[in-house]
Amino acid sequence: MDKRQQQMADLQAHLQQLGEQFSQRLREELPQLADKALQLQACADPSEQLQRLTELRDHLHKLAGSAGTFGFSDLGARARLLEQQTQQWLSSLELQRQGLQGLVNELQQLASVEQVSQASVAPVLKTPSVGANRDGAYRVYILEDELKVGDVIRLTLNTFGYQASHFLTTAALDAALVEQLPDALIIDVNLGDSQQTGLDYAAALQQRLEHSLPLLVLTTQNDFYTQLQAARIGAMGFFSKPVDVAKLENRLERCFNQQSGEPYRVLIVDDDRELSSRYRLVLSGANMLVEVVNDPLQLFDAMARFHPEVLVLDVNMPGCSGPELAQVVRFNDDWLRVPIIYLSAETDIALQMSVLIRAGDDFVTKPISDNSLIATVFARAQRARLLSNALSRDSLTGLLKHADIKEQVAIEQERALRSGKPASVVMLDIDHFKKVNDTHGHAVGDNVIRALANLLRQRLRRVDSLGRYGGEEFMAVLPDCNGEQAVSILDEIRQQFSSISFAGEQSDFHVSLSAGIASSHERTADELMEMADRALYAAKNNGRNQVRLADD
Amino acid sequence: MPDLKRILHVEDDPSIQAVAKVALEAVGGFTVLSCSCGQDALDQVEGFAPDFILLDVMMPGMDGPQTLQELGRMVDITQIPVAFMTAKVQPNEIEHYRSLGARDVIIKPFDPMQLATQIRAIWSQSRG
Repeated sequence: MDKRQQQMADLQAHLQQLGEQFSQRLREELPQLADKALQLQACADPSEQLQRLTELRDHLHKLAGSAGTFGFSDLGARARLLEQQTQQWLSSLELQRQGLQGLVNELQQLASVEQVSQASVAPVLKTPSVGANRDGAYRVYILEDELKVGDVIRLTLNTFGYQASHFLTTAALDAALVEQLPDALIIDVNLGDSQQTGLDYAAALQQRLEHSLPLLVLTTQNDFYTQLQAARIGAMGFFSKPVDVAKLENRLERCFNQQSGEPYRVLIVDDDRELSSRYRLVLSGANMLVEVVNDPLQLFDAMARFHPEVLVLDVNMPGCSGPELAQVVRFNDDWLRVPIIYLSAETDIALQMSVLIRAGDDFVTKPISDNSLIATVFARAQRARLLSNALSRDSLTGLLKHADIKEQVAIEQERALRSGKPASVVMLDIDHFKKVNDTHGHAVGDNVIRALANLLRQRLRRVDSLGRYGGEEFMAVLPDCNGEQAVSILDEIRQQFSSISFAGEQSDFHVSLSAGIASSHERTADELMEMADRALYAAKNNGRNQVRLADD
Repeated sequence: MPDLKRILHVEDDPSIQAVAKVALEAVGGFTVLSCSCGQDALDQVEGFAPDFILLDVMMPGMDGPQTLQELGRMVDITQIPVAFMTAKVQPNEIEHYRSLGARDVIIKPFDPMQLATQIRAIWSQSRG
């Protein structure tokens, strides 16, 4: 261990020790907090109540701020919600006995030894991971005052592998939020007789939370003003009723992908070493992966090795200017998708424009504030990734296109040959799909295809590749997975798919699928695909709605 | 341009005080003087001569903004950047803190490993 590593280890140990001291402190403080709430409940004098409530709020505020620093993020988030609740009471001066009893219960629960010992297992330095859930499934809360509508959404999302819960009232949702925060919220705008609209409720809720939750809005008011209001409170999706749950699921998936996606890769070319390392620090701080090249001649090597999603170029460099470098980069079609941003002291708009016309996408003018650098690079990177994904993927399903999935099968089969671990190829087809299109129209048919694509994506592993092979035909390749395992996975998907209820023109309907699977570590990719295709044909001939393994 | 070496940290919560001191000294290589209340900070600021001041907002007695006001009478806070540290704030509150003379707000809970970087970033921004 070198000196630096030793220092880091000492530091970790030291922080760990402080974390343990803090958890000891919690064991004493949380019961005190619960006692304070009991005393508050017992006291009758309004001015004394006010004073006790203020103390309680301050205490909760401290806890909300400190707990997360020591890794007790959940405790911190719950303390924050309770703090906001006490604040609301303080503001309105309405001490409602009933609500107070709930507060007492919450604080007693918070104080239970179990809570502390459970949390203290968390390492001190663990930062809250976005979107990840302990049991793997994303938790989604639905606020919808119509029982049937909410239930359909809940059940459908559950078949897609989410852990969805439905609440009829804001009070029920509030109670659930204190217990456990979800990964996303779906909220109906019109909440029946209640005074508050879903949007007002969601706006207040987002303010209370440490990190705002991904939010989707359901409405019967599809007007511009409601959409604007939804956008203002940070909604990531807006859906008119009756809700197309497949589209809703699609958007949820996009929210989570954005949240937990890989960091953006940024390459900076600037001959000024000090400045470029400052930019690196700033962008890394915003969770981007940054590489710096100080010599423009090294650019091609760095591009090929690092595969940046955004290129940041200084305009004035010795030997080769930024715009010249940009033009050279644009000679290569492989890098067409990479946006180029210039850093420059140039404030003459005419000159900036003439540079942009030659090559490049944006200008950031020196002196550059950290925030404008982050915002410019982030916006370009986000757009570039979205476009890049759209280009290589099927527009309806977001899955790989025909040629790309075949290439993926070849890659995995080569890997299987080397490792001796079998890969399975799956060919999958929706039964009687033509009838769906003929009876319910192509828009409904598209929903069925998208729903199957989403279900497959949810149920297969990250290492598996998935493509839309033709109209209603899909192909997947599952590395390190033998035939029996593949059959059992696909059969489960088959059952789930047949249980999804689709909204048709006149009535709801169900659809089934058939699949053929071939597995080997010896065959070529072409042979495997052909075997899987024959197995699919056999499944179709044998009555459909089944999964068949190819005979080797 | 002076270097960022000495940080005055005012915080009444002993746990937060300890973890910030460890993080800033070990990760950032700074010298940290921790004060438990605003008055303590006023007593020590001239002797310590900090390059940067980090203030908790909610403290018993003199709170963060009051402490900042008093500090402003004793030292030149245009030369010594001051940042507040507080649990979740609304954007308009951040503006309010800025109008009082603070450079930025560090949100609690914070990641001990990142605290030094955050402060360095505020510091270099304030230097233009």
